[in-house]
Amino acid sequence: MRWGMVIDLAKCMRCHACVAACRVEHFLPLHVTWAKLIAYEVDEGGEVDVTTYPVRCNQCADAPCTHVCPTEASHQRDDGIVVVDSDKCIGCRYCVIACPYQNRTFLSKDKNPGYFPGYEKTGFEKKGQTLYPHQVGTTEKCNFCVERLDDGTSRGLQPGVDRDATPACVNTCQARALTFGDLDDQDSNISALIRKHNGFQLRAEYGTDPSVYYVDYKLGGAPTNVAPWTAQTGSHMQHLSSVDRDAARRIHGEQKADTEVTS
Amino acid sequence: MKARTSRQWIVTHEWMVKPMRQREWIEKKGLLVWLAEVFSALGMGLYLVGLFAESWWATVIGWAFIVLFKLPLHLIYLGRPLRFWRAIPPFTKAWKTSWLARGMFFSIVFVAAGFVQIVLTYVIHQELVSGGALDVITVLNWIAVIVAGVFILLTGVYCGFAMSYCKSVPFWNTGLLPVVFVIMGLADGLALMMGVSMVTSDVDITTLESWSRIMLVINALLIVAYLIQAYRRHSAAELAARDLLKGHTAWVFWIGIVALGIVTPLAISIVTMFLPEEDVAQLLIVAIICHTIGAFALKYSVLKVGIYRSVLPKVGA
Repeated sequence: MRWGMVIDLAKCMRCHACVAACRVEHFLPLHVTWAKLIAYEVDEGGEVDVTTYPVRCNQCADAPCTHVCPTEASHQRDDGIVVVDSDKCIGCRYCVIACPYQNRTFLSKDKNPGYFPGYEKTGFEKKGQTLYPHQVGTTEKCNFCVERLDDGTSRGLQPGVDRDATPACVNTCQARALTFGDLDDQDSNISALIRKHNGFQLRAEYGTDPSVYYVDYKLGGAPTNVAPWTAQTGSHMQHLSSVDRDAARRIHGEQKADTEVTS
Repeated sequence: MKARTSRQWIVTHEWMVKPMRQREWIEKKGLLVWLAEVFSALGMGLYLVGLFAESWWATVIGWAFIVLFKLPLHLIYLGRPLRFWRAIPPFTKAWKTSWLARGMFFSIVFVAAGFVQIVLTYVIHQELVSGGALDVITVLNWIAVIVAGVFILLTGVYCGFAMSYCKSVPFWNTGLLPVVFVIMGLADGLALMMGVSMVTSDVDITTLESWSRIMLVINALLIVAYLIQAYRRHSAAELAARDLLKGHTAWVFWIGIVALGIVTPLAISIVTMFLPEEDVAQLLIVAIICHTIGAFALKYSVLKVGIYRSVLPKVGA
């Protein structure tokens, strides 16, 4: 079993919901972001556009961060997820430098000033410190929400299918651009997606074999085939139009009902 | 067009989009890593040269560089310094893959073996024992010399391997880096040895100068080879080399490494060949100071131009 994720670049509507969901799920400190959306300019035939790339820890099969960690704080679980044991991390930052995807963050004091710097901690922050203590002086990164996965699977739920066993970013993605599943299972949803749409990994030439794949519906699967903003939006609209009626009611139904009563 | 570009308020992560410099090991608290690495090279060079030249004081000062500067600076840099023991075998098995864990082990073995060697050499030199005890101590001293010598070399070389392991930074990702660090460390050790000899008079300075000239020329050639290799190896490494030669870090390279670290000591060592011995001392002090500044400049510039390869292939190198 090897958990992985497929990110559909054409569906991603740059809403940052995955970033927000991750922040809330892990009570992330103010200046720390695990799941990121990189925004940058592309020049396609003279027309300059801004596009985005969602990135997070690639949970590489051959992860350099685990090799360089002097304390084994960064280690790989049997299911392929690379986790950091904050109690073992000494904060040498070797993993931050060795990660070819720059997806690790060293939590220094200045990155954790509290949600409202200079004010007393909120109830949410205090609760977060109990549930998910972020240790200043250690390194952090996305862990595919292992807590949810472990808790869900222990209750017989299926990651990628049941929400309670699926990473928060995948659950919250309203464009359904994120798909989670087992890469080792040839019949899984993500294996099928990768096969069908010629999924590719970021910087595959490093030989790290990332567990995060990207699809963009273009032939060749080259990572340079980034869908421009217009394509993303068009695809997103198409996606919304194909949402089934029940799902649409779940999203918009209550609000519509309220409006009708008011009028 | 305006409407679209105005959307750039979206959080950007430039260090992922463009090739950017690493900061963790050179900026803010990261400066401690730089200083620790410099003292690592100076300590290794001086201790090894001291062993070969049989200068007790040089070995003491070289050992002290590691114990009083390198290790404390590394420890202070850690985010959780009190957990440092977790990186030392047998508390970790990471030494199988991690150069940092190996380096911790090498340093600790050197500190212990070096201490034994310094004490035993002192005992032998001061003739505090005689007869059969002296024979035993001499044998033990030789063992300590070999162990300390091997482990100080490893202590000096591991940081080069630790950096060259990083594929994310193509400028470092070459087997030549540890070689450059070791050769430069030995040249620094020779320079410092001259300083020690000026005070203790236990080693012939003319011999040291001859060796120093050779090492400086080798250093210069190695640096040229390293830069040529960087230009040919990878676009991000080329960018780093260009930054070193023409960019923001160029003054450190040209003034610190080339002018002060290589050209001045080399010129002084050549000039002193034609001068009477009594006029040489002041020039030698200048050469030693310049050489040591060069050691600081080399590590600084290599760490400073450690440019990450961008994550996205299209927009970066």
